[in-house]
Amino acid sequence: MSSPQREGFSAPSSLSHAAHGQITSKTLGIKYNCAQCGSSFQLSRSDAIRCKECGHRVLYKARTRRMVQFEAR
Amino acid sequence: MGVTQLAKFGTLEREERFKNPPKNKKELYPLLRDAVAPHVGSFNALTEGIDGGLLNLAVKDIGSKTIFDSNDSDRLGNKLSIRVESVQIAKPAVPQNDKLSLNRKTLPSECRERMNSYRSRLMLKVSWSVNDGEEVSEVREAGQIPIMLKSNRCHLENMSPYELVEHREESDELGGYFIVNGIEKLIRLLIVQRRNHPMAIIRPSFSNRGTSYTKYGIQIRCVRPDQTSQTNVLHYLSDGNVTFRFSWKKNEYLVPVVMILKALIETNDREIFDGIVGADTTNSFLTDRLELLLRSYKQYNLYSKQETLAYLGDKFRIVFGATPDVSDIDVGKEVLRRIVLVHLDKSSDKFRMLLFMIRKLYSLVAGDCSPDNPDATQHQEVLLGGFLYGMIIKEKIDEYLQNIKLQIQSDINRGVAVNFNDRKYMSRVFLRINENIGQKLQYFLSTGNLVSQSGLDLQQVSGYTVVAEKINFHRFISHFRMVHRGSFFAELKTTTVRKLLPESWGFLCPVHTPDGSPCGLLNHLAHKCKISTVASDVSKVPAALAQLGISPANSFAAGPSLSCVQLDGKIVGWTTHEQAKIVADTLRFWKVEGTHGLPLDLEIGYVPPSSKGQYPGLFLFGGAARMMRPVKYLPLGKEDILGPFEQVYMNVAVVPREIENNIHTHVEFSPTNILSILANLTPFSDFNQSPRNMYQCQMGKQTMGTPGVALAHRSDNKLYRLQSGQTPIVKANLYDEYGMDNFPNGTNAVVAVISYTGYDMDDAMIINKSADERGFGYGTVYKVEKVDLSQSRRRGDPIAQHIGFGPDEWPEVWKEKLDSDGLPTIGVKVEEGDPILAYYDDTLGKTKVKTYHSSEPAYIEEVKLLGDDNGDQECQQLTIKYRITRQPLIGDKFSSRHGQKGVCSRKWPQIDMPFSETGIQPDVIINPHAFPSRMTIGMFVESLAGKAGALHGIAQDSTPWKFSEDDTPADYFGEQLLKSGYNYHGNEPMYSGATGEELRADIYIGVVYYQRLRHMVNDKFQVRSTGPVNSLTMQPVKGRKRSGGIRVGEMERDALIGHGTAFLLQDRLLNCSDYTQTPICRSCGSLLNTQTSVPRIGTSASVRCRRCATKLESYTQKAQYVSESDIWEDGQGKKFVGGDNTTSVAIPFVLKYLDSELAAMGIRMRYNVVPQ
Repeated sequence: MSSPQREGFSAPSSLSHAAHGQITSKTLGIKYNCAQCGSSFQLSRSDAIRCKECGHRVLYKARTRRMVQFEAR
Repeated sequence: MGVTQLAKFGTLEREERFKNPPKNKKELYPLLRDAVAPHVGSFNALTEGIDGGLLNLAVKDIGSKTIFDSNDSDRLGNKLSIRVESVQIAKPAVPQNDKLSLNRKTLPSECRERMNSYRSRLMLKVSWSVNDGEEVSEVREAGQIPIMLKSNRCHLENMSPYELVEHREESDELGGYFIVNGIEKLIRLLIVQRRNHPMAIIRPSFSNRGTSYTKYGIQIRCVRPDQTSQTNVLHYLSDGNVTFRFSWKKNEYLVPVVMILKALIETNDREIFDGIVGADTTNSFLTDRLELLLRSYKQYNLYSKQETLAYLGDKFRIVFGATPDVSDIDVGKEVLRRIVLVHLDKSSDKFRMLLFMIRKLYSLVAGDCSPDNPDATQHQEVLLGGFLYGMIIKEKIDEYLQNIKLQIQSDINRGVAVNFNDRKYMSRVFLRINENIGQKLQYFLSTGNLVSQSGLDLQQVSGYTVVAEKINFHRFISHFRMVHRGSFFAELKTTTVRKLLPESWGFLCPVHTPDGSPCGLLNHLAHKCKISTVASDVSKVPAALAQLGISPANSFAAGPSLSCVQLDGKIVGWTTHEQAKIVADTLRFWKVEGTHGLPLDLEIGYVPPSSKGQYPGLFLFGGAARMMRPVKYLPLGKEDILGPFEQVYMNVAVVPREIENNIHTHVEFSPTNILSILANLTPFSDFNQSPRNMYQCQMGKQTMGTPGVALAHRSDNKLYRLQSGQTPIVKANLYDEYGMDNFPNGTNAVVAVISYTGYDMDDAMIINKSADERGFGYGTVYKVEKVDLSQSRRRGDPIAQHIGFGPDEWPEVWKEKLDSDGLPTIGVKVEEGDPILAYYDDTLGKTKVKTYHSSEPAYIEEVKLLGDDNGDQECQQLTIKYRITRQPLIGDKFSSRHGQKGVCSRKWPQIDMPFSETGIQPDVIINPHAFPSRMTIGMFVESLAGKAGALHGIAQDSTPWKFSEDDTPADYFGEQLLKSGYNYHGNEPMYSGATGEELRADIYIGVVYYQRLRHMVNDKFQVRSTGPVNSLTMQPVKGRKRSGGIRVGEMERDALIGHGTAFLLQDRLLNCSDYTQTPICRSCGSLLNTQTSVPRIGTSASVRCRRCATKLESYTQKAQYVSESDIWEDGQGKKFVGGDNTTSVAIPFVLKYLDSELAAMGIRMRYNVVPQ
């Protein structure tokens, strides 16, 4: 029953896209933001879920810094 | 109207305030704070106020427990007295062993996100002494108790809007609720009997208590200073005797009332007689009964106070668990202290009050006074959340001390070395009992169930808490103003408790109650109604009374011929009725004037003498938990505070023009004061038929609006949000005073009342397609899913499931939705079956994913990683917030603010919509038939006012009762319309969008504020052609979640039969249900005995009846010839002959089921099958 909606996020795939050339930046690590102090940092898999600055125990996953392309229809 | 325009948009101010929340603590919306004041105030009262708050009063009332350490019965041994000296509650903080947190405070936002409780440590200072020696004390931690937000134990208490925003709260956070496991819960207000006032009751069930018990009784709910209560009842027996009833630890006890009287003070029969009869000795009804009362007591042979106390003490020794060192007399005193009229501490006061109650009882029986109505607000007060919380804590502390006692007792019985002087022994006792009171309170808040030994003098055991749902702000704020009558009354067959009584004027809103089963039981407080959370200072009242010439309490006086003056259930004096009226009026003048040290909220209930009316007297109340409201006192022109008890006997004018000289003493500040917050927001509600206003109060709470602005820091399971909320052009002034603009609830729409395409029949509405595309009513639903990988893991086991991809092979498509950390990319669209989380399972050595389980596509809005309590583990818990777009669809529900709901039936293209001469096309079309029967004239007025407001760029005030017959809104807004060049009446010539022709009638078109309700087709639609079936009956399953069918029941079947639509009926009941083709034996008519034979080479399988077939051996024994082609074989290799007279029929599968059930009972069904 969903109405026709615009396309969701998709990683640029074809070479014709303007995103070409940006692919190298894909290795950018995923950052997390502290819910209390807002500091941003990377987290390895076995790290405890604590803010590295203030020790807060809720972290938000940050939005990607890669280029995101939406198709407007 | 002639009134100054108060309603304004204030757009710039609001924007500024949102950009820069004020750093000072000046409140912008004091009314909002007042709305939750009963909750916050009652919670604060636990820890602040006289004698260190209610909790400290409570532990004083509990007193100390005594234990003796001897095992033999001859001697008692060492005596240990143990008590809780004081109670303290800390502020919520991180655990003490946490070394990493810079901010040691735990804030509510963290609890919401981590889905745990906002709680803090409860500390009990336990003191004990051995053999009445020196007291030793130790502070024990009794777990963590949930803390009410914005209370004096909360970090948010004194924060400015700026600080609140800094701490991830709404800029105008109200508090008043708890956070338990991440869910916001509040204790709902409950109606209880007014405290410390004896109520005359005629209740037929009283006579079930035993022989000679009658329906007459006097009931008083006495409240101790710590807000716990004890109900005492006097019962009238048919012979004229009176018994005193109370319940203690859920058991009921009956004591002759004279015994209580004699135990209270050293008295004699003459004194009792005089105290009840007074000068009324000619009243033979009374004297006869009194004689019997006193005579029948003679059988007990108890004369002095000491004798009586000893008798009572002896009987109640076991019930009260008294230790052997306490004398019977002392136990008797304890009984009187804990049970009898506990609001008074002096025995003489208790004695006098009991005499008053007995006299009132006799008057009730004689018919001299009427029974008091327990359903009237006059005899009610409100049980506040904080007080109930305190009562539970008190009981748990009592239990705690009892457990210590039991633990020591069991040590003694088991022969463990018990040494009270040894601190080590005492700490061992503490360690071995359950000290976690906090956990019990958390249970109470999360379930609403009351686990209690005493029952807390309350009538119900469950339903004390509700979730403070944040569907929109209307619903949220309503929770705090909600008062429930008690779930006991919900089951009652009679509807008398649900009636709207005139006594509740100004205290309970007459409009705001749900329809259906909770109607009249679940009320809402009028918006100006306050509830006192602290007792007012009445210490100066006796002096003022004395000054007014009241004779003292111990004077020779009794009965209704004189006016008894009581202050909070204590008899303070007697006076004549004429004098009492003067006293009441003078007291009122003084208290409003502010002289003589009288509190303004003192309730002065003067009940005048009447013929068979309420028992007369002058009753003063200053206690907590009373409802009260402000009105203007005419003699001084100042604010007076009225309570429901006194209001009944007062003359309060509703509007100034109805004031009559020497009749009215008060006038309402505004007639809208009688309405609740929500009822006040209905524009022009005085023009509507009353049920429509009730409907709007319901629908306002179901609107998809703005739950708050700190949505990013919330983790509610489901949250609705309207993207294009606007401030209404037409709004009551109170709308701004309550700051409703911070949480817009709808959209202003141009509405034409016209029957246009036929798509607006039957409460359907047409939405302009372009309006929809511009964002009219566009909404979003946020859903939060919590993933906890540690749930499958047992305690102590190492973590086996790690979030993220493992080194093994896994489908590359997972990477489309997930990042390299195994979590979904923020903003990615997920559909059913898409991965939302990858984790590597150590034990399996495989990477697995959790998938998205909803047919509706969603976008990943937020991913929050939640640390564990110790903060040293890798990620195991996280919440994923989905954003589901909900643009208005055909079938979605909308409503105006006048109880006019409708369903969107079409999105009509703008070019085909009718247009007016100014070129305006409606956003919404509704049918004129929606009006005649519903009579929501308010909606017409709103439409008119909205149109005029939009044209002039002004906000319109829609407060009810501002217009009159001579000054109509039609004129007021008509003039405005005229000024801007529009038709005076709001009608306009319009042109068909399809043909361009002018419509033959002028169309009523204006601007109405429309709400989008949260009932949306996407959550409701249910279709099915084929799908899952029940394996037993082969019929479709039920339930939308399982994609089941909708039952065509008996009545639906009847309708189809009535219409003669046989094929449709067969289609519904058979073809679309459990249609089956099954083989049947034509000879024996059996459904169950047919089976398919095993195909042999050269032949195909055939259906045979096993019952009619003969086994090959027995067939051949009869030496008959068998053709090889006639032999058939079953699955087990057995060979048969015959049974080939079978055919196939279409039946409902359940028939087969029925047949086999019957077969199990030994009943065979036979079907005669003949060809058609």
